[in-house]
Amino acid sequence: MKAVISSIVVAIILALIFSLPVLAQESGTITITMRGANDISISLDETAWPLGNVTLNTDYYTSPAIEWCTLAVEGNCNVDTFIVGEDAEWIDNSSYKWTLSNSGGNGEHIYGLWFRISGDTTRGPLGDGYVPITKTQSEFWPYPNCSGSSLAPEDYKQFGLKLLTPTYFWGGRQMQTHITISAVMA
Amino acid sequence: MVGRIKLAGLIAALLVIFLPSFTLAQDVNFSVSPAEVHIDNLPLGEAEEFELTIHNKNEIAHNFTIATFRPPEEERRKGRAEFPDDSWISFSFQEIEVAAKSEASVTVAVAIPREQKWAGADWEIWLGVAAESSDLLAVRLYVRLLVSTSAAIAARSNAGLVAGIVVGIVLLGCGGYYYFRRKARTE
Repeated sequence: MKAVISSIVVAIILALIFSLPVLAQESGTITITMRGANDISISLDETAWPLGNVTLNTDYYTSPAIEWCTLAVEGNCNVDTFIVGEDAEWIDNSSYKWTLSNSGGNGEHIYGLWFRISGDTTRGPLGDGYVPITKTQSEFWPYPNCSGSSLAPEDYKQFGLKLLTPTYFWGGRQMQTHITISAVMA
Repeated sequence: MVGRIKLAGLIAALLVIFLPSFTLAQDVNFSVSPAEVHIDNLPLGEAEEFELTIHNKNEIAHNFTIATFRPPEEERRKGRAEFPDDSWISFSFQEIEVAAKSEASVTVAVAIPREQKWAGADWEIWLGVAAESSDLLAVRLYVRLLVSTSAAIAARSNAGLVAGIVVGIVLLGCGGYYYFRRKARTE
């Protein structure tokens, strides 16, 4: 009888030996840390560009060309910024679109959008400072291999846009598109 | 004359009104806090919550949308992998109206399935807040969410299994010993 009781006690002790570390891990604390506890914010001083009538296969520039809009950092943390575009849609029926080119070029019902930041003179595929805006989010500022760094609070960047109309499109339709500029804590 | 009219008609047909905005430009000025959130040691199978605050600095109310975004590797923090599944993150509101000169909070919940393969991971995903606008240019602000999961599930399942086996063996041994001893006494 003594042997049986001893065996059960040993079994309980063994079970506790294996269970205690697990129980200890269960009581581990979850840590939630908030950084940049105040805020992230950027502003744009221009958001609309009413072009009026446009013709085929033509470049249109904002006025002034490269200091049309000012992006300002208003939060309290450094930020990296990005830009993304989308297809232009006929406001009466979104099934008619101008597809946004992924290279800045144009084609039939395909249009190009470009941006240029003031001070950038050699950036972009043509080396003239203009960079294509595509449907994939890409760097606005800073960008790979540039000499600049993330934007600090109260920093700003001025930029302008260029639109290249399609080589062919259906006329008499009001088209609408959107460009989104985004920011994330650097 | 007829040719000129036809040419003019053709040109007119090729013209289009490209109006990115039909209303007066209404700048949307807002901020989001915090800018970065770390959740460390998140147990698998459990949910954790935190709040994002959207501050509308404009004189009029605006609608804001909230959505996840998986950044490419070069934009993520060092050592952070892509967050595996956006559906593990939920928002109390995916669209919210914020009154002029005021702020509103959105509760974000993160819940990782209780599966061994997600233990001990370090992930990053961005939470994008954008103001609805019909203008050409719009702003989206991202909050970096960095999630590290606990490795406890592996230890717990293995240790529990081993402990169960040990206890089972000991108890069976004891029972067998008691049974045969009693049988021997009877004989």
